[in-house]
Amino acid sequence: MPEPNDDGVAIHAGFPNPASDRDLAEVDLHRLLVKQPTSTFFMKIDGNDWEDRSIFDGDIVVIDRSLDPRKKDLVVATKDDTFLITPFSKLPTDCVLWGTVTAVIHRYRT
Amino acid sequence: MKQPLFALVDCNNFFVSCERLFRPELNTTPVVVLSSNDGCAISRSNEAKALGIPMGAPAFKYRQLFQDNGVVSFSANFELYGDISRRLTQILTSVTPRIEVYSVDECFLDLSRLAIKDHLEWGRNLRARILKELGIPVSIGIAGSKTLSKIATEIGKQELHRGGVCDLYHMSIKDRRDTIAKVKVRNIWGIGRRLAPQLQAEGITNAAEMAGLRPARARQLMGVHGEQMVYELNGTSCIPLERQHKLQKMISRGRTFGEDTNQPHVVEAALASFATQSAFRLRQSGQLTKRLQVWLSTDRHKPGHRQWSREVLFGTPTADTGQLITSAVQAFAEIYDKSAAYHRASVTLFDFSPAGQLQTDLLGEVDPTLHGQKTERLRAVDGLNKRYGKNTVHYAAQDLADAWEPRKMLRSPRYTTNWDELPLIRPFK
Repeated sequence: MPEPNDDGVAIHAGFPNPASDRDLAEVDLHRLLVKQPTSTFFMKIDGNDWEDRSIFDGDIVVIDRSLDPRKKDLVVATKDDTFLITPFSKLPTDCVLWGTVTAVIHRYRT
Repeated sequence: MKQPLFALVDCNNFFVSCERLFRPELNTTPVVVLSSNDGCAISRSNEAKALGIPMGAPAFKYRQLFQDNGVVSFSANFELYGDISRRLTQILTSVTPRIEVYSVDECFLDLSRLAIKDHLEWGRNLRARILKELGIPVSIGIAGSKTLSKIATEIGKQELHRGGVCDLYHMSIKDRRDTIAKVKVRNIWGIGRRLAPQLQAEGITNAAEMAGLRPARARQLMGVHGEQMVYELNGTSCIPLERQHKLQKMISRGRTFGEDTNQPHVVEAALASFATQSAFRLRQSGQLTKRLQVWLSTDRHKPGHRQWSREVLFGTPTADTGQLITSAVQAFAEIYDKSAAYHRASVTLFDFSPAGQLQTDLLGEVDPTLHGQKTERLRAVDGLNKRYGKNTVHYAAQDLADAWEPRKMLRSPRYTTNWDELPLIRPFK
């Protein structure tokens, strides 16, 4: 039987922590956001034109080129020498599709 | 025993294609990529080739032509190319684990164990997949031997109606003969500039004529190597796929140059390939390396034989293609001797440890491995400078020699390997 400690909580000692092995389950943000590493690219939002969509300057955009965009997707397109982020449904005709956005990451502290 | 069947996947104008992935507005502009040590063209877009800019063209000699035709030039960004190359090998490994990374932009695939109904369609699908996922155009050649698959790739690239794919295997003997007759003898894999004139003197001008040579005669002319080539050109495989089977303590790749060279861009391109091959093998074996050695020598049968070597120590073990190429090229720049006629070069990796997580990780804004490495290197530099006086050791980028500066400035951002250099993207209003 485990002995109660100073706080009156009983703890088991000597039992190996199954999570100490790093190969065991560990939530991995990279894996969550990058399903296809070979076709996934990151870009950085330039400017605050989409504040109303809560997408801000410096946010990181995750793009998977292997996906076929659906109506409601955000996509990356190129127009002349600029990369644009736009809803697929509103993709301007003079733009060329570059990839499908799978996530936009906003950090509150860096 | 299955019939050997190979595919060669070869990236078109690879370094230029990598640059264009992030500068799509340059898709129809003539573009060249220059070697970082001497500013010679090591990759050219089709438009640049059409202007008559040869491989190895020194930028300073062609400045006027570049200006007159709006040629855009980049200094080699090996970190970017290495990363795209790594992604390509990963895609190809998902098609079949039986691949051989031949250079930074070429891989052989063993197709003999894959159930493929229509090889042309298979090739076109793979080509489309790579173009979509990586944005890199490739050519694919399918044949019963590696030598023929090289030729098939070349034909797939040249003849536009083939859509980048040529299958010499599922073709009648006559059709194959007619097709490979279009390839000049000097463009056959393994025939250098030295052998070509010798064969031409024998009346052999193209691959079909070479294939028609009696093996015994080929042996007389070029030794065992020549005999093997005749078999290969007739679709009998003699050169197997090179793969790594067991754990190695050291990985080394190198070769003798077709002819001795003192041109840095030639050596640089070779070292980039060796580093790519070694990096792939290293990752295949699930290991990381701590040391890289670049080794060069002149012809030991000629007077004044010399050799050079330079070792790079990685603070944190790595298997990153881009980093290994960059290190090899830098090490070479440090030992480069203008007067040397380089005969042979190699890249060797050693001092291995088991691999951990490798990729640029979303969680690690400051990649702990890279960070550790930078600080360690900085510390070493600081130590030397302290001991021997300021600027004893400094980085190339901060080199006082102004010749270096403008070239460095032409390098594109490391779009895929550095958080501070990601492409910028504007919200569309």
